Amino acid sequence: MPDFMARPLDSAKASAPPWMQDYLRAGRGRWQTSSMPTRKTEQWKYTGLQALQSTYAPADDGVVQLAEAGVELPRFGGFRLVFVNGHFAAEHSDKDLPEGVRIVRFAEADNTQAERIRQYLGRAVGRDQVLFTALNDASLAEGVFLDIQAGAHIEQPLHVVWVSGNQGEAFSVNQRLLVLCGENSRASVIENFCGARGEQQSFTNGVTELLLEAGATLNHYRLHLEEGRALHIGRAHARLATQATLNSFHLALGSALKRVDLVVDHCGRGAHSEVNGVYLPRGKEHVDYHTCIEHRVPDCTSNEIFRGIIGDEATAVFNGRIHIHRDAQKTRAQLSNRNLLTSVNAEVNTKPELEIYADDVQCAHGATVAQLDEMSLHYLRSRGVSRADAQVMLSFGFINEVIDTVRCDALRDYLQAFLTRRFARDPALTGGVS
Amino acid sequence: MSQEHIDEAISREYAAGFVSDIESDTLPPGLDEDVIRFISARKGEPDWLLEWRLEAYRGWQQMTEPKWAHVHYPPIDLNAVSYYSSPKSMKDGPKSLDEVDPELLAMYEKLGIPLHEQEMLAGVAVDAVFDSVSVATTFRGKLAEAGVIFCPISEAVHSHPELVRKYLGTVVPRKDNFYAALNSAVFSDGSFVYIPKGVRCPMELSTYFRINEAKTGQFERTLIIADEGSHVSYLEGCTAPMRDENQLHAAVVELVALDRAQIKYSTVQNWYPGDAQGRGGIYNFVTKRGVAHRDSKISWTQVETGSAVTWKYPSCILRGDNSVGEFYSVALTNNFQQADTGTKMIHLGKNTRSTIISKGISAGHSSNAYRGLVRMSPKAAGARNYTQCDSLLIGDRCAAHTFPYIESRNPSAVVEHEATTSKVSDDQLYLCQQRGLDAEKAVSMIVNGFCKEVFKELPMEFAVEAGKLLEVSLEGSVG
Repeated sequence: MPDFMARPLDSAKASAPPWMQDYLRAGRGRWQTSSMPTRKTEQWKYTGLQALQSTYAPADDGVVQLAEAGVELPRFGGFRLVFVNGHFAAEHSDKDLPEGVRIVRFAEADNTQAERIRQYLGRAVGRDQVLFTALNDASLAEGVFLDIQAGAHIEQPLHVVWVSGNQGEAFSVNQRLLVLCGENSRASVIENFCGARGEQQSFTNGVTELLLEAGATLNHYRLHLEEGRALHIGRAHARLATQATLNSFHLALGSALKRVDLVVDHCGRGAHSEVNGVYLPRGKEHVDYHTCIEHRVPDCTSNEIFRGIIGDEATAVFNGRIHIHRDAQKTRAQLSNRNLLTSVNAEVNTKPELEIYADDVQCAHGATVAQLDEMSLHYLRSRGVSRADAQVMLSFGFINEVIDTVRCDALRDYLQAFLTRRFARDPALTGGVS
Repeated sequence: MSQEHIDEAISREYAAGFVSDIESDTLPPGLDEDVIRFISARKGEPDWLLEWRLEAYRGWQQMTEPKWAHVHYPPIDLNAVSYYSSPKSMKDGPKSLDEVDPELLAMYEKLGIPLHEQEMLAGVAVDAVFDSVSVATTFRGKLAEAGVIFCPISEAVHSHPELVRKYLGTVVPRKDNFYAALNSAVFSDGSFVYIPKGVRCPMELSTYFRINEAKTGQFERTLIIADEGSHVSYLEGCTAPMRDENQLHAAVVELVALDRAQIKYSTVQNWYPGDAQGRGGIYNFVTKRGVAHRDSKISWTQVETGSAVTWKYPSCILRGDNSVGEFYSVALTNNFQQADTGTKMIHLGKNTRSTIISKGISAGHSSNAYRGLVRMSPKAAGARNYTQCDSLLIGDRCAAHTFPYIESRNPSAVVEHEATTSKVSDDQLYLCQQRGLDAEKAVSMIVNGFCKEVFKELPMEFAVEAGKLLEVSLEGSVG
């Protein structure tokens, strides 16, 4: 591995508390001994990493004027935590935590808290992960632990904003979010990755671990709103115990390189997950979602819907795997991936996969790649809607069916308004002006 | 290659201490350029073909065995394979059906294969005046009348060198993949078909093939060219189980459908799948591909029930505008069989269409994977694909997988893929049993229904046999 990450990692090492050093060392060791995937690596067949390999500086902790940088900090009610370039931004963050949840930044954990973090960290992603998870381990200091107590019902969302600001040279941020949902707790977590306007090059490696204990329900939203040269390679792993429910929603606008791996591990009977998402790359952007739904035990259900609109010269990659382990009987798993291509130079590569080792299961997946339906366009036009408006309506409607699954009203309203504005002015999302 | 070289090559087997009798012309195991020179010389091939083989061999040496398929088997020692063996004399076969493995005969019986065909399949030495020979001659006459060329490829190299040279390796290039390269270097024999312009082949080439089946060896090579506006239906294999001592089979099939031509290629594969404990069985690593020119159509239909390990992706390159590709497949695995099979539809021309219907059935401890690729190139405006792959699981120790790759680079192309996996429902079983069918019959009936969409694409008499074949192959998987 050419160590283009040496500087950020050295800096992370210097700032990390002593209890974390062995994680850093192990992670860095695995990162250095991993080799960079190529197009021959099945998991990276359609996503090249050329854009990634420059040298990165550690992120600045200088004050970034968010408004000047064009960063919007929306509010969805509830509690908000803001990190700029990986550093905690107290001035933008809320102080009053709702009851039933503790938030601990890894760097500030006391002994008891550190012990609790060590107890749960890596439970979902596994300890022996290579490559980007190892890289994340090698730079844990900016991690955040959301500890939701058993039985707590937190009505308002917990909103974590990760901002990539401006800085002179290309920089890298490694973020870790560890969420523990205690037994029978209910909560919503919104992760919002956003970037500054302009041509700042940055590389974010964000790893999210969601641990749902028995009967817990978590609504998890992960929004990737960085654009331009803000590269993101991220990972979200959820581990569901008995009767736990995960409802998750993902949105990715494109950037030069965006790759997100989602893994949902059904480890306890009766667990249920919903994993939905939307991706909207345009220009020369690249978005890659790799999802993996693991059914390890009987009686679990999962439902996954991903939709994308790919315009201009953009590329989208979707890989949706459903893995039903031996004896995971009575599993029901569904996956649907639909894509609209709006330009002759756009590209989509999709691969829904089923890997099934139990017989009493019901699994289905479907994938389509197409364009707006001429008949529907015709129908709208025959009722006096202009072609351009009809295209906006149909293409927005196409993704809005997924946005509608967002359970947090404030977030759904925000997304609908935000995307409506975008669809109104961007032919890449609506199939041009033909 | 001169006679001295041949003699030298043969005599080496003694040097290696290999015991063989001179008349049988069997090379010692192992592969090098001399072996290829020997094969080529033995067949009296022209220089260009020898060079072609050598080039393939040199490419093959740089290649590594593919590992991506969802199958597991111990490494194959390709140096333990003998790459040339002249066809076995009929005299070595059993003298009558009494000497044939009763298990095999029982299976023939179940499949309803006529007695004289049983003898032929089991390799029983038969009289020269055996019925089918005269039948074959009649067929040959009819084909010649239509101008159809249908002969072993080794014969075509001499009788129609211009055609062979023009098309060989154009669909599956010599260095296409590890096993195709190996096949190109050492291919033994296979069929050559040429249908002249505008000719509709007067008969299914299946019938002829079935009674003419010679031991074509483990590296079979087939080349079918349908000239403009012609039409041919070809059937390979048969429902009867074939026993073969060669464990590795690496065949290559190339189809060329010129403008407005139609090729229908049906396969029934029932090689030895190994025993119920997973011992033995054939490794079937096949490369099959067709190129479809303007307004032409290539249709692959396969019923795969045999082989211990199958690795097979009959594909269509839809090069010409408006060309059509079809793939209908039933793959059944039982006991410890493993199959990784599917297709590739490469859409290059405008308004090209493809349909993929794949039915996978897994039983016992087997593993059955569908792996497919649908690629819409930037020029494939208006192209259309529909894929449906369903898996049926019988028993809780088997596995079914689906790996469809969809790559689209054209906004006016439409790709649809659907897959489902389920088991034979208890309700269906109950209903059948309640009407007096035993469990095994009921399952076989349900499985046959599940495969109906594919069976209807088979030539009629084979559709019936294929149904019986599934029934036989599923034996012991229920209850």
